[in-house]
Amino acid sequence: MMSVLKAKNLKKSFGDLCVLRDISFEVEKGEVVAVIGPSGGGKSTLLRSLIDLEKIDGGSIWIDGDPLVENGIYCKPAKIAAATAKTGMVFQHFNLFPHLTVRKNLELAPKLVKKQDFKITTDDCTLYLNKVGLSEKADSYPRELSGGQKQRVAIARALMMHPDILLFDEPTSALDPELTVEVLDTMKQLARDSMTMIVVTHEMSFAREVANKVIFMDQGVILEEGPPEQIFFNPTQPRTKEFLNSILKGQ
Amino acid sequence: MDFSVMFQQLCKGSLVTMQLFIIVLPLSLILGILVMLGARCSIKPIRWFFEFYIYILRGTPLLLQMLILFYGLYYIPGIGPHLVITSRSFACTLAFTLNYAAYFAEIFRGGLLAVDPGQYEASKVLGLSKSQMYLHVVFPQMFRVALPSTANETITLVKDTSLIFALGIEELLQNATNIVNSQATFVPYIFAAIFYLVLTTIPSVIFKKLEKKFDF
Repeated sequence: MMSVLKAKNLKKSFGDLCVLRDISFEVEKGEVVAVIGPSGGGKSTLLRSLIDLEKIDGGSIWIDGDPLVENGIYCKPAKIAAATAKTGMVFQHFNLFPHLTVRKNLELAPKLVKKQDFKITTDDCTLYLNKVGLSEKADSYPRELSGGQKQRVAIARALMMHPDILLFDEPTSALDPELTVEVLDTMKQLARDSMTMIVVTHEMSFAREVANKVIFMDQGVILEEGPPEQIFFNPTQPRTKEFLNSILKGQ
Repeated sequence: MDFSVMFQQLCKGSLVTMQLFIIVLPLSLILGILVMLGARCSIKPIRWFFEFYIYILRGTPLLLQMLILFYGLYYIPGIGPHLVITSRSFACTLAFTLNYAAYFAEIFRGGLLAVDPGQYEASKVLGLSKSQMYLHVVFPQMFRVALPSTANETITLVKDTSLIFALGIEELLQNATNIVNSQATFVPYIFAAIFYLVLTTIPSVIFKKLEKKFDF
């Protein structure tokens, strides 16, 4: 199998604070990877570095074989753009464009960046709004939507660029508990469609049910990774056990 | 004095006022955006220049700036005599534009700060270029936030036009004063007030409409 994303020896510090120490992992096509671990463990920083929202200090990232950064040296802007164009991202706080309708939120980037044919863009828009179950909201503004609906629009917006891999940064953390289900269901649907995903999450049930691989991160290192059965039912690291106990007690 | 003559004088004055307003408003808005971008430029000397520009233009009276532009340029050693502005109305237009651009720059800067950082990140991960991001995502949201302050500043501009009497240009208030002095009647001032109210009502109605339209 070919790996869609490969990260090797990633290092990153904010001043004296080391947030990523020597992180390496691979994601294969169609895989759903859940990244779990305590807050401040570097999960979000890792995810954000994969789409060039954070610059790493050392290490390499390849997306579909194309380098974003090699041995800590970033590629030329055009190459970075080419690599990150294969990656989509869904944020904790949705980051929809508030001045545009749902339809225009979806169509903005394909029109501007891909200069895509108008017909294809509108067809895509209908297709993906259908997929997230929000066809009837095409002409609404983001402020008229619930949090769960906003996040589903954000997912549809990311899909419009046909990414090979989709990154989720705590996609349900800003939602009321009763609204997380609809977003998680949408993500499960994507997983069934063989979308490659990396999901930073606190939703252990999602990680357990949907992920093919779970990565447990703490203090800037991957302490443990493996299939969910192993991480959740047979963790080898005491730190993993401790974390799972504390979080499962809470849920 | 005949009532219609008085009215004519005031109309003539308000035409001058409107002319200045209509030229200065778009020019200073555009210049304001450029100054704001300059004051946020990552190249330090450029940023310092525009920050200094805003500091000077906001920190001194508009009246003084007008006087310096018209009378003062001559005294700049060496190049002064080549810079002299001979047209009074041009000096006024220039002074107003430069001054209001500084204010608009600050208003837009405030609007820009109100745009959520997540908007930049969303634009970036979708692959938008810098100019596409500013044009389609950031500026529309910035203008929305800046609208009420821009409306305020626009109304101030209408009233500030009365300052150009200092360069001897006959505008609305100056014409009213002339009639008050020669005819010993206070009525022209009341008419002038009504004229100003009409002139300020137009932009405030337009801005209210804009605020409604951009209520997202």
